[in-house]
Amino acid sequence: MTIASDDPRVAAAAAPPPSAPPAPATAARRRRSRLTRNRWGYAYVAPFFVLFAAFSLYPFLYTAYISLHEVRLSDIDGAVFVGFGNYTELLQNEFFWNAARNTLTIGILSTVPQLAIALGLAHLLNYRLRGRTFFRVAMLMPYATSIAAATLVFAQLFGHDYGLINTLLEAVGFDRIDWESGTWTSQIAISVIVTWRWTGYNALIYLAAMQAIPNDLYEAATLDGASRWQQFLHVTVPALKPTILFTIVVSTIGAVQLFGEPLLFSGNGMTSGGVSNQYQTLGLLMYDQGWTNFRLGQAAATAWTMFLIILVVVGIAGLIARRRARAER
Amino acid sequence: MATVTFDAATRIYPKSDRPAVDTLDLEIGDGEFLVLVGPSGCGKSTSLRMLAGLEEIDAGSIRIGDRDVTEAPPKDRDIAMVFQNYALYPHMTVEQNMGFALKIAGVAKDEIGRRVAEAAKILDLEDYLGRRPKALSGGQRQRVAMGRAIVRNPQVFLMDEPLSNLDAKLRVQTRTQIAALQRRLAVTTVYVTHDQVEAMTMGDRVAVLKDGVLQQCDTPGALYDRPANTFVAGFIGSPAMNVVTGPAVDGGIRLAGAVLPVPREKLARAAAGTGKVTVGFRPESLEVAPAGEGVPVVVNVVEQLGSDAFLYATLGADDDGDVLHTADVVVRTEPRTAAAVGQTVHLRVREECLHVFDPVTQLRVD
Repeated sequence: MTIASDDPRVAAAAAPPPSAPPAPATAARRRRSRLTRNRWGYAYVAPFFVLFAAFSLYPFLYTAYISLHEVRLSDIDGAVFVGFGNYTELLQNEFFWNAARNTLTIGILSTVPQLAIALGLAHLLNYRLRGRTFFRVAMLMPYATSIAAATLVFAQLFGHDYGLINTLLEAVGFDRIDWESGTWTSQIAISVIVTWRWTGYNALIYLAAMQAIPNDLYEAATLDGASRWQQFLHVTVPALKPTILFTIVVSTIGAVQLFGEPLLFSGNGMTSGGVSNQYQTLGLLMYDQGWTNFRLGQAAATAWTMFLIILVVVGIAGLIARRRARAER
Repeated sequence: MATVTFDAATRIYPKSDRPAVDTLDLEIGDGEFLVLVGPSGCGKSTSLRMLAGLEEIDAGSIRIGDRDVTEAPPKDRDIAMVFQNYALYPHMTVEQNMGFALKIAGVAKDEIGRRVAEAAKILDLEDYLGRRPKALSGGQRQRVAMGRAIVRNPQVFLMDEPLSNLDAKLRVQTRTQIAALQRRLAVTTVYVTHDQVEAMTMGDRVAVLKDGVLQQCDTPGALYDRPANTFVAGFIGSPAMNVVTGPAVDGGIRLAGAVLPVPREKLARAAAGTGKVTVGFRPESLEVAPAGEGVPVVVNVVEQLGSDAFLYATLGADDDGDVLHTADVVVRTEPRTAAAVGQTVHLRVREECLHVFDPVTQLRVD
């Protein structure tokens, strides 16, 4: 090698031919020199990874460890190894299946309208509206509101006797609905809160992606005779596919972890999710197990199960994205 | 097929006091290939977009055939447009791109297939129908954009600098292909470009615009031979026409101490107000004269092109220092006998090739 280069790519390309395998000492030295050369880079990213290791990775792994033990909140050091006992017990637990079902239905009831409304709103905001900066900021307001405040206000709105919604229903001739006690009604109410909070956030993500679509595509579609709606279907939506997939993944992760809204919906912070657990989500169940029943091992197993569900969802989304990319090549 | 008429069409962009297109009057014949040309910001694209319905028309009107389309939405104008960046739908295949307008119009599937196949054959795209735009070269994308317009079988083709994203060689090749295709299909075509070579080689007629105002609209030959004003004179032709202003003297214009002969009657009319006259002469209408005759210039740069040589020269200083124009002059000469840098050359203009302009109005004097 006659060319001395600092660029690692060049160094790799100019590696000695196979006939002369590099001496291990040289390789080690090169690796060490790269470490020292990039030491400032490592130094700058270190704070994040140190904090990540301390507050994310360690608890994450410790939760896995706990989930394999029978642990009481009152006696954390007295852990007894039970293998996958917590998991098998969980899968036989009717509360788990109830919570999983609730999480799924609330997830669908909130994610689907949320993303559909967000897409429509983004489309409208993409037009040259008067005062559109105001509307864009307004979009983000629900997201900036605390879950507790929003949920308490919505709990009032959905209240049985004095709730605004029931008052309105009565005014147009319907019966009052006991939102909190019914399975579907309570889940719809919670979904409304979630949708209200997250629609604007997703709309802004869609809006950002829409602004990257070249305007001449819309002009070409206009000349091709496409109406606004057809332009939305044939130009906007296809261009947004990767973004839509992203928001589906993020919303699904949020839906699996749903906790604050159902916790506060009843107004008294009960982790049971209603008298007949009609809106107990997996997040509430986990909290219930750990902090009401003091069974930390069981709660940890639930937490890990939720994590695995999210992994499966993200994995499916990744597969779809890859298939799509291959089809487009 | 149809004629296109701009009738005092005007476009004023919001928050602008100067019209982007100012009372444009233009008649485009049935089957004609008309090129709109001008420097950037001259309103040529805006004119095209007004015809397409993508820009509002603030005053005047536009007719396609006998129909007034001033207020008509783009889809009702029966036009097809080729965009500068092609504007192909990225997620659709070539076939879907070309058939999209027909699909929207509700044309039967086999009819769409037939027409797309026909256009693909004309444009040599048959092997690429299943591909997406991303997998095509620039030239192929350009042809797909053309195909999308052809498939619709419109009354008017609109082309907005369709060649500007191609490399130089492909541009020349595609230029002739588009011109030939247009003659074959005989569809009225309005073509926008900033490249005067494209304009001259492709158009049946060329309309030159500047600052939103139509300067001249005529055949390429007439634009070259009889430019209506100094702007058109300088814009058409490459290298550009030399345009210089100087004092009118008996028998001509005084340049660098010498007198360039100008026909008496033209001289009188051009110099009537100011005693000065503006003349234009093209690099190719200059001849090297023997010393003592003609206008002396000092050669600064020699460009050898093989077939020609171009001398970039400066007019020698006038006796009384009265050179009104800091005049650089371009001369085409024989490549073998080209002058050397620093040399003084005497130039003569073939009289029939001298253009005379009024120095105030900049208009041609005949």
